[in-house]
Amino acid sequence: MIQISKALIRGDAHELAAWLTAFDLERALRCCLLILVGCGIYGATLGLWRAPLQGAFTALKFPLLIFLTCAGNALLNGMLAQVLGSGLSFRQTSSAILLSFATAGIVLGAISPLILFVLWNAPPLGSAADVTGHSIVLLTHVGVIAYAGVLANHRLLRLLEKMSGSRSTARRVLFGWLAGNLFLGAQLAWTLRPFIGSPQLAVQFLRGDPLRGNFYEAVFHAFEHLFH
Amino acid sequence: MNPPPIVPTTPRGLTFEPMPEPQNAASILETLLKHPGRIVHELHHRGATALPLWLLALGLLGMAFYGVVIGALSGGAQFMVAPAKMALGTLLAMIICLPSLYIFTCLDGIEARIRTVSGLLFAAVCLAALLLIGFAPVGWIFSQSTDSVPLMGALHLLFWFIAVGFGLRLLNAAGAIFGRGARTHLKLWNLIFVLVCLQMTATLRPIIGKSDTFLPREKKFFIAHWIDSMKGAKAD
Repeated sequence: MIQISKALIRGDAHELAAWLTAFDLERALRCCLLILVGCGIYGATLGLWRAPLQGAFTALKFPLLIFLTCAGNALLNGMLAQVLGSGLSFRQTSSAILLSFATAGIVLGAISPLILFVLWNAPPLGSAADVTGHSIVLLTHVGVIAYAGVLANHRLLRLLEKMSGSRSTARRVLFGWLAGNLFLGAQLAWTLRPFIGSPQLAVQFLRGDPLRGNFYEAVFHAFEHLFH
Repeated sequence: MNPPPIVPTTPRGLTFEPMPEPQNAASILETLLKHPGRIVHELHHRGATALPLWLLALGLLGMAFYGVVIGALSGGAQFMVAPAKMALGTLLAMIICLPSLYIFTCLDGIEARIRTVSGLLFAAVCLAALLLIGFAPVGWIFSQSTDSVPLMGALHLLFWFIAVGFGLRLLNAAGAIFGRGARTHLKLWNLIFVLVCLQMTATLRPIIGKSDTFLPREKKFFIAHWIDSMKGAKAD
C-alpha cells in the first residue's frame, strides 16, 4: 500500500502508464481503499467543526461522493476518451480516474492534521464569533480541496499525455472528464449534503427529501434573490 | 461500379483503413468509438447493406434508450411515449435531410455514392446516440431531482448538442477524406440538420412533459414552443 501511495504521489508517468496497461482488481481495490481512508479521514475533519457526529457522517459521505461520481460518469468518460482519440479503453479510463482520485485522497488525508489544527484554533460553534469560525473553516476546506484537485489533475494530465502521445489530445480528454465530473459531482454533493453542516441547522446524515431540488436550481435562485 | 480510389489520410485523427473484425453490434460500436475511420472505409469500399442497417438500427435503439431517461421526469406513459418520439424524430430528421446531404456533398466536390453518404449519416447518428447513452446516468439523476420541464429540457438539449457535435464531427472528417476543397455546403447542411432536429422537439411535442394526445393539435416553431414552455413553468 505504501509503495502504491509513493508511486501515486511521485506521479511518475512511465510507472503509472505501465500500471494502467496491466491494471488488475487488486490495484483497483487498493486505490479504492486509499480513497476510502484518505477522503474518509479528511471528511471527518470537514464535519468536525459542526459536531463530532457530523464528522462521522461526512467521513462516510465524502468517499461515497467520489465513488458515485466515478460510477455515474464511467460510461461517458470511457466514450469521451475513445472518441477524442486517447486510445484508452473503458477499463483504463476508469482506472486512470480512480488513480487520480486516490492521489487526491492521499493528499487530503495527509493534510487532515493541519485541518485539525485549524479547527482547534477556530472560534467554536456557540461562541460569539462562530460565524467567523464557520467562514474560516469553509474557506480553508475550499483551498485545500482545490489544491488536492489541481495536483491530482496535473498528475492525470501527464499520465494522459504519456498514454495518448499527444498533449492536445490529453488536454481535450482531461477537459471532457473534468467537465462531466464537476457537473455530476456538484449535483451529487448537493444530494449528499450536509458536509460541513450549517450552524443554524440540525446535524443530519442527509437533509430531508435529499433528491428534491438540485444544485443548479439553487444557484439560479440565489442569483434571483441577489438581483430582485 | 467500383468506388473511386481514396488515398488514406488522417483528418482529425481519423485513420482510413479496413475494418478487420467480423461485423456484429459490439464490434461496430467499438470501432465507431475507437476507429471511426474504419467504418468510413467500410462504407466506402464495400457495397454490403449490413453495416449501414446495423448503424441505423443501433442509432435508433440508442435514441430510444435515451428517450426512457427523458420519460423518467414525468413517468407513466411517458416511459413509452418519449422513447418512441426520440426514435421517430431522429428517423424523420434523417429521411428529411438525407437528399440535401447527398446534393450538398456533391456541390462540395466530395466523391461519394448515395449509399456511402447514407451510411455516414447513420454512423453520425449512431455515434451521437452512443454518447447520449453515456450521458443517461447523469440525466436520470437530474430528472429525479426536479419537476421543472424547462430545466430538464435545457439539460437534455445540452447533452444532445454535445453528442450530435461529435456525430457531425465524424461526418465532416469523412467529408475531408472524400473531398479536397472547402466544405462550405456540408457546414451549411450541419446547420440545417440541427435546425430540423430542434424543430422535431416542437413537431412531436411534448417529448419531456405530459400530454393527453400523442401528437400536438397546434402547429408551432420550436423557439415559440420553448418560450411557451418557460412561461407555463413560471405561471405554475
